[in-house]
This record gives sequence, structure tokens and C-alpha cells, in this order.
Amino acid sequence: MNSIVKKLFSLIVTVLAISLVTFIVFSLIPGNAVLARLGVDATPEQIAAMEQQLGLNDPVLVRYFRWLGGALTGDFGQSLQYSGVSVSELLSSRLPVTLVLSGLSLALIVIFSVPIALVGVRLRDSVFDRLMTVLGQILMAVPAFFLGILMTYIFGLMLRWFRPGAYPSLTEEPVKAIRYLIFPAITIALPKIAMTVRFLKSAVKGELGMDYVRTARAHGSSEGRVLTHHVLKNAMIPVITFVALILAEILAGSIVAEQVFSVPGLGRLLITSISGRDYPVVQAIVMYITTVVVTLNFLVDVLYRAVDPRLKRGGV
Amino acid sequence: MSEMKEPLLRVNQLSVSFPDDDPYDGIEERDSVLSSISFELHDGEILGVVGESGSGKSMTALAVIRLLKKTARVDGGEILFDGRSLLTLSEEELCDLRGLGISMIFQEPMTSLNPVLRIGTQVAEALKLHQGKGNEALSDEQIHREVVRVLTEVGLPDPEGVCLMYPHELSGGMRQRVMIAAALITSPKLLIADEPTTALDVLTQAQILDLLLKIHEKTGVAILFISHDLHVIRRLCHRVLVMYHGEIVEEGETEKILDHPDHEYTKTLVARIPRVETNPGSDPVLSMDKVTIYYPPRNGSGSFFKKPALEAYVYNASLTLYENEILGIVGGSGSGKSTIGKVLSGLHGIYDGGIELFGQPLKEVLATNQRPQMVFQDPYSALNPARTIGWSLSETLRSHGVKSASERRRMALEMLSEVGLEKEIYERYPRELSGGQRQRVCIGQALLYDPKILIADEPVSALDVTVSSQVLELLLRLQKERNMSMIFISHDMNIVRSICHRVVVLEKGRIVEEGPCGEVFDNPSHPYTRQLIDAAMLG
Repeated sequence: MNSIVKKLFSLIVTVLAISLVTFIVFSLIPGNAVLARLGVDATPEQIAAMEQQLGLNDPVLVRYFRWLGGALTGDFGQSLQYSGVSVSELLSSRLPVTLVLSGLSLALIVIFSVPIALVGVRLRDSVFDRLMTVLGQILMAVPAFFLGILMTYIFGLMLRWFRPGAYPSLTEEPVKAIRYLIFPAITIALPKIAMTVRFLKSAVKGELGMDYVRTARAHGSSEGRVLTHHVLKNAMIPVITFVALILAEILAGSIVAEQVFSVPGLGRLLITSISGRDYPVVQAIVMYITTVVVTLNFLVDVLYRAVDPRLKRGGV
Repeated sequence: MSEMKEPLLRVNQLSVSFPDDDPYDGIEERDSVLSSISFELHDGEILGVVGESGSGKSMTALAVIRLLKKTARVDGGEILFDGRSLLTLSEEELCDLRGLGISMIFQEPMTSLNPVLRIGTQVAEALKLHQGKGNEALSDEQIHREVVRVLTEVGLPDPEGVCLMYPHELSGGMRQRVMIAAALITSPKLLIADEPTTALDVLTQAQILDLLLKIHEKTGVAILFISHDLHVIRRLCHRVLVMYHGEIVEEGETEKILDHPDHEYTKTLVARIPRVETNPGSDPVLSMDKVTIYYPPRNGSGSFFKKPALEAYVYNASLTLYENEILGIVGGSGSGKSTIGKVLSGLHGIYDGGIELFGQPLKEVLATNQRPQMVFQDPYSALNPARTIGWSLSETLRSHGVKSASERRRMALEMLSEVGLEKEIYERYPRELSGGQRQRVCIGQALLYDPKILIADEPVSALDVTVSSQVLELLLRLQKERNMSMIFISHDMNIVRSICHRVVVLEKGRIVEEGPCGEVFDNPSHPYTRQLIDAAMLG
């Protein structure tokens, strides 16, 4: 499992490199938190004192390593926007919400894409298949925020399945909160399901032309068994990569969805922090997203090996 | 029972067609692939079907097991198997029949097994699907025992271990054995074998044929054996059908058909391979002295800082090519034959030892227009599909330094006629040409440089028998007219014997025997050579 150790190592290097780059970029952006906090009327003395207090006068590399040292022990510094609140505290109240939301979206994508794609291939060129294809194209084309508004209107205002804007706290009323989160999750998942179905369908159709499928038929496999027992595992190999790419988009999608559905998750925190120039928070969120994406990609690599025996020994 | 015993399989006036695949003419037409073919196959018989690609051999097989593509249409006739009419069966009944009554093995053992399933699972498939239908249900343990039994029967060592392996861990020959095991596990009455040995190298080919004969002797399974290779058919089949353009043109005892064919087409099919008539000169044009050829290892074992160690593919090879000589290089797959060709034409440059052409070091000659030219095995992928033949030829001349466009065109047209092609080919795209025409274009392209040495790497092994003979004739004519020397790399001992002056035998990268064809073939001194010859003559 030497190659897995190698991959882990490169994972850590990637995260570190991204943290350095984002740190430097943020320090280059004009306008800082001191101004944002003290207002434009502040005297130069006040500003200097504040900068001194926050340690903003040191060279960027010194600040970076100070930050990194803290980050490794879980201390991402103080929020500049909410005084007296640490970044870790802010994140730990928001993170679970976004994690649940992304997890729900991913679950929806996986649960619905595979059967829809298989049924689509089995009934190819039928009315059902054509309808699904058209529906998929519409879903892929509609912007996320519009889909969110549509969902709010249909399920929130017309059907009254949830009360828009009244998000219950995840820690106090977890069941109600998850029921609320289903709707933003669907908003995030729908276009991704459409994309995954389309991708999986073309992968399955490609596999159907392979020689081993002919062998399976010659052994007496029915059309359904050919799909589920022979083709699916082969077709999943490219799809796993595809879903890994989608994961990053789910996180990006949650930023929009949280905004539309007034869910107090990381996405909303990110938006308020950027406008408040609260760089410690922004930096921490960027680090979080990076780590999640890189880790998931690592897990996908491991999963790959489980699905494709050709990769187990020696191979690429 | 006064009448004769009903045959196991009776195909009666069967016609099959496909939609016309030219979407531009706007006319709904159908291409007939089988027209009114009739034949019978009896219990325990091995019936050969021979013909070229496109003659309908595989279509016949796929029609019998009802695995034709959805676009295919049966226009008439009937197929009776074991007293049942196959054309009226439902899809469900067909699934019950496939793998139980009729099994099939295919040409491509490398791709015909599912890459992500274990061998044990795949061999058990047919047994699992058909249990409880006419036979009793089996426990997992019984199924496993059966799987191990058939794997042993097809001669795989360590069947328990093989069960747990995946296809990519097995060689082509072993995979074909697995395919045979999977097909026979249900003891079907009929086995359809569609070119089962074509993709294998000579030695493995002979082993698989032996295996099929052994199994036939033991189980008495009837075999419908499809092949383009007359040697294979002669070795295996009791009777043979000759197919041409979707029709059966001749049928009868194998010996009789192959030795005394009646039909014109069969006559060309069994026609002899052309024979070399020139005599070689005595001046050496090329000599290799203790040449070892290396490649970087396939899955880079080196690390970021260390270059991977090189692996030798050919060891200490010494050989000489004389003026006007055709030298054959033979060996099984992986023996290093093609590697030598690649080095001599400058496509690969990592080697030790001395190579001289016309008395100069190879590296100097490669920089000139006198470098050896190469013709490759696969004429389908050797030409740029997006360009016309004329463009490809002209491009070669351009890099040869011919500046004037009209001059290039004149030379290209001249070359086309020299390799026996019409002028019209100049404007055509590779996809519009047949395999034989494409290989002629490739030969012409190599000759534009007017080389003194031509290296032909399996130039006819992708072609049909009759086309192959024509291309060989062309090569021999060009060699004679242009006083070229030629290195002919091939796995086909029959062709090498017929068209080469001398032969070099390679085994796993080492030259094990060398000499004039007559001597080597009549009196091989090395056991590997003998093995190759035995496998080629197929008894």
C-alpha cells in the first residue's frame, strides 16, 4: 500500500501549499479589517494601535507561520468582525449545518442517479427515457438560485411543506432541521443528478458494446442481469471520478442554497465574512473547503482501487 | 425409426440483413449478410466454416445463438436446434438456451472476460443461471467444485488460485482456456467457436486446438468452428462449409474440399503463398553485432529522483542482411522481433552494440534518406483518417525535400500505380479503402524514399488469406524490381518459409537459430524452432 502513503503525503503538501497561497493573496488585497471595524473616521493613531494589537504589521511570512502554528492546534485566531468570538467557535457552530446539507445532497445524487440511469438505458428510446433526457437538460440549464426560489415557492409557499426562513436549530431540533434541509439539498442535487445520470448512461451504453457483455449474453444472462451484474461495476469506474469532481461543486452550491433558504451554514458565514473583510474566518473556511475536497479525492482514489482490480497490483 | 437421425442443428434457407449503413443516399435499403444458407450439424460432429472477413461466418454463428445486433433482421428461413425452432423463441426462452444448450467462445480472449469480476464468478455464471431448470439446484460449494473441475479439465494449473484471480492477471492463452471452461461447465450439446485461436500466438494456438480436440473426444460435444485459417480447419474439422459473400459456395469433407476444391473461390482460398524467386547477393548491407536492446520498465519502478532501470528486450543479437536478400525474423509474441525492426528504422534508440548499414554506423544512416523504411502490421490505424491518401503521400515527399507540389503529385500518382492502385485512390480517405488497398498505400509510402532496405513487420497478418497472397506478391515484385533487401518479421512460419531466403529464430529476445530457410525448416536444430514449425503445420 506504498502508493496510498504517497498519495497521503501529496495530500498534505497540497493543503499546505493552498494555505500559503490563500494567505498571501488575502494579505495583498487592499482594504483591511481595521478600517472595516473602526470606520472611515478613525484617526491614524487609532488605526496604528489596532494594527499593532492584531499583529498586522509583521512580515507576511511571519504572520503565515504564526497562523499555521495556531491552525495545526485548532486555533484559527479571532474573528475580526465579531469581536471576542474565535474563528473556531464560529466555524464549529456553522460547520455541522453545511456538512449535513452537503451529505444530504451527495446521498440524493448517489441514490437517484444509478437507478434512473439504469432504467433509462434499459428502456432506451422509450417515452420515459426521452422525457427524462429533456427534464435533465432543463435542470442542468436552470441557475441554482432560480431553482432555489422555485423550490421555496412550490414547497414552501404553495404546499407549505416547510416555512421559508424559519430554519430550526440543528442542535435543538435535529429532525425538524433535517426536514428543512432536505429542500436546499434537493436544490443542490437536482442539476447534479441530471449530469450524473447523463454521464452514467453514456458510460453504460459504452460498456454494452464491449466483448465481455456478449460473453455474458452467450452464457444466458438476461438483459437486466447484464446491466446490474456485468456492466454497472465497469461503468461506475469513470463515474466515480465524475462524482468526485461534483463534490467540489456541491460545496460551492451550498453557498448559494444557504443564502436562498436562509440556512446559517458556512456558505452564509463566508459571504458575510468576505464583505466584512474578516480574513481569518475566510481563510479558515477556504482551508476547510480545500481539505474536504482534497480528502474526498483521496478517498475516491482508494475507492477506485476497490472497484477496479486492475489497479490493485502495480498498475497506474 | 426408419428415417435418418434428425441432425442436432439444421439451418434452412436462412437470410439475414442489416440496414444500409450509408446515411447519405437517403434510400432505405438493406444489406444482405446471409442469403438463403442451409446446412446441418450432427451430434458429435466438428463442422468448420471458412471464409474471409465479411463473408458471413460470424453472422451465421451469431444467428444460431440469436445474438445478432438489434438492427439485424431475419428475412426468412428457419433454425432448428434439437428439434426446437430457435427463431420463434421468446427472449426468456433464449436466455435459458444460451449457455445451457448452446455455448459460444469468441476470438478476443483479452476483452471477452469481464475485467472487474473474478474468474471463479465468471466461470460459474452459466451454471448459476441455469440451475434448477431441468437440473437440480446446486449449493455454492457444489458450484465451486464444478468450477474447479472444469478449470482443471482445460489444463489450468492451480485452479483454486485461478478462481480468485482477475482476467488481467492471466495471459491470452489462459484466458481462452477460462472462456472454454465457462462455456463447457453446463455440458452443452453444441459449442460455437468463433475464431478462438486467431488472436493467440502460434504456440498457444496449437495448444488451444489440442485442448478443443481433447474435450471433443471426451465429451462428444458438437462444435461449429469458424476460422479463416485453413490449417486450423484441416486439423480440427470433419466437414467444412466455404462461405463467400453471405452464401455457402461449397460444402463437404474437409480433406476433399481443401485438396480438390470445385468452386473458383475455394480455389483462390487454398492457393499457394507466392514463392521468392530472386537470389540474394553476397555483399552485406546491414550487420548487427552483439546488439542488446533496452526499454524503460513498463510501470516505472524508479522514483522521483532515480531513473528507472532499463529492461533488456533483445540480448546479444548478431545478424547480417545481404544485398537483395529477404531475411525472415520469426518467433512467438514477445520474442523481440518487432523490437529489432524498430531499432533498425530509428523508431527506438536505446541499445548497446554495433549496427552498421552500408559500412556506416546506423545513427549516421538514420539521418539520411537512405534509412530503412518500415511497413506495419495494422493498415487500419497506420494512415491518418482525417486526410486523403494523396495528402499522406505528399506529406511524406515534402519531408523528403520535394518542394514542388505538382512534382509531389506526379510522384505520388506514380507510386500508386507501382503498388497496383488506381489513380482515383489519391483523392480517397483511408476509411474508403479495403485493408489490402491500405496496406498497398503503406508500402507505397515506405517506398517513396527509395530505400535500399525495407522492414516489413507482420505486413499481412491483419489481412484475409487471398488479400494476403496478393500483398505478398506485390512485396516480392517490388523487391525484385528495386533490388531491395528486406527484413520480413512474422509469426507465420508458412509465409516465411515461402518468401524468405534466410530465417532468424528469436526466443524471448535471444537468437536461437539462423540459416537458409530450406535447411532450418527441413532440419531445425533448436527445440523452439521445431515447436514453431510443428505448431504452424498443425500436424
